[in-house]
Amino acid sequence: MADGSPEVPEDLAQVANEKGIPLDLMRRALALGFPAEAVKQQIQTPGADAEQAEKFIAEQERIRAGGEITIPEELAKAAAKNGWPEELIKRALALGAQAEMLITQMEAGIRPEQAEKFIAQQERMRAAADRGEQVLDLSWMRVPTEWGIRARPGKKGLTVGALNIGSYGDVPDKWPYQSEMPRGAHPIPGIAAMGYSIYEKAELWADNAADLYEEAVQRRWRPATDIPWDTLEPLPDEIERSLCQLCTYFCEKALLAGDVVGRWLPEMSYGYHEIKLYLSTAEFDAARQFEVFRKRALSNGGGMGLQSPGYFHRAIIDTRVWTETSVVLHILSHSFLIGLYQVGEYVAHNEAESLIFRLSMQDVSRQIAYGVQHLKQFLLRKQDKREEVHSYLNKAEAVMVFDEERDTPLREALIILLGGGLAKEQILDGVRKLEYFKRRWLRDYVARLAAAGLPERRERLHPLLKKYLEEPAVAQAA
Amino acid sequence: MTQETKVQATFPSIEWFNALRDIVNSDDAYKRIGTCDAAVGIKVPESQKHFLLTFEAFEVLAVKEVSETEAEDSDFWLEMPYERWREMIQNIKDNGKADLHHTLNTIDLEDPEGFARSHDGYKRDAFYRFNQTFQHFFDSSARIDTKFA
Repeated sequence: MADGSPEVPEDLAQVANEKGIPLDLMRRALALGFPAEAVKQQIQTPGADAEQAEKFIAEQERIRAGGEITIPEELAKAAAKNGWPEELIKRALALGAQAEMLITQMEAGIRPEQAEKFIAQQERMRAAADRGEQVLDLSWMRVPTEWGIRARPGKKGLTVGALNIGSYGDVPDKWPYQSEMPRGAHPIPGIAAMGYSIYEKAELWADNAADLYEEAVQRRWRPATDIPWDTLEPLPDEIERSLCQLCTYFCEKALLAGDVVGRWLPEMSYGYHEIKLYLSTAEFDAARQFEVFRKRALSNGGGMGLQSPGYFHRAIIDTRVWTETSVVLHILSHSFLIGLYQVGEYVAHNEAESLIFRLSMQDVSRQIAYGVQHLKQFLLRKQDKREEVHSYLNKAEAVMVFDEERDTPLREALIILLGGGLAKEQILDGVRKLEYFKRRWLRDYVARLAAAGLPERRERLHPLLKKYLEEPAVAQAA
Repeated sequence: MTQETKVQATFPSIEWFNALRDIVNSDDAYKRIGTCDAAVGIKVPESQKHFLLTFEAFEVLAVKEVSETEAEDSDFWLEMPYERWREMIQNIKDNGKADLHHTLNTIDLEDPEGFARSHDGYKRDAFYRFNQTFQHFFDSSARIDTKFA
């Protein structure tokens, strides 16, 4: 401009106009040496307005003119708590850093020596700009994250868990960012919120998640080629129909599990990537189980069976918080499912079926392991939520019992498979074995809840489930 | 055609489990199943023989003869009468691997107390999580010339 004040770039001017911020304020900001791009990002921050900009720029001008830098009380407290020297804070404020941003950085674990490197670089950049030198903006190279990290592979290779060293292993109780920034990276202002709803560690965490992720990747299997499909042989019609009915049920369960987890993943903030990674494999496991049971149903002369009533499916989908979803899906529903897989392996007629059920057991047991560990950690951190967990289970167990009573195809298919056919003695044998196996499922379900820190659930089970624990185990499979 | 020379070992003994460990630790098919981390106790009540197997990453790290308490101080332990152990191992020997009626899961389901037992409902699930690893481990005993004590 003719008077020597800086030209406001077109894109900055457009944003300023949209926000109702006078262009003169922008010129004053540029005259202070702030890069145009940084000014644009700053005024794009939600809540930024002309009054706030005027106040900030006036303060910066006052500081540049030799005015004293005052540290806001809240920032001073945070600095004292986190060991950031007062002088460092003043240098950061002189560079135009916002108090809220500095507090966030402290809470994210940025150490003062890391901050000092970043600030010194910024000061050099500003000095160069003041001298009118053309310089590259290399500030991103001085990002104040922990540097010099060298994660080492162990017996299982370089695992996700092995990366949790130094500050990268600090998993905060509350994740303060609403963006897609990964844990350990450095935030920039003005990034739009992504709309996650889970920011608290207690609401999703499980210590075993990183290991379960690696386990799922290592123990992956391929239904197309790992299953000895050539061992399938024609089966009696009632057996093939029963097995296909069971496969139809498993296909429904698998799709549902994938959908449910898929709905929740975008709700989980990025600070807890171990959980997101593991649950991604759980989604893949669900896809594989759909695949393998559809393949079994359609590869031995049979076909798909009847749809199940689905009341319990809706109860799972209708859960309102992730912990409720996990408890109902991973512990209650999957305890029942793994029991069915055990039965499937027990009644297998060939090597293909035996292996399908064994490998599927492995997949679903990882999900149970996540569910149990998550509930354990949730109960430890949210002791006031114990009754709430019982209420989740009261509701879900009741719907599951209701659903099971109405799922005649599933019950009769299991009876035929366990008894070996449709003769009267076979049906009686099937009924007896089914009752025996229900006791086993209930025992394992209750044991898992006890391991998660909810041993009293045994006494509070739905009455139609509790009876299996109370009746003597007179019958057995053999 | 050369015939594979089988290691001779008596069940139950530390030699038998060490022979099994050596077989799987040099078996690429075992490694391909994937990593396994579990401490598994073995109990043969009539013989008063107890062992502890440590599965770590892609190998069986250690096999030890231990007390009954130490065998139970594991993720889970496998327990059944000697005759049932003998039947399972003989079945594996005869078929090259467990037939459909002698898999670990089938035996577990047939026993009201369970073949895989634990003091902890979470740890017991390792039996399911790594089931194919354990099945492959015991199936590998087909390569041992097993004598029964």
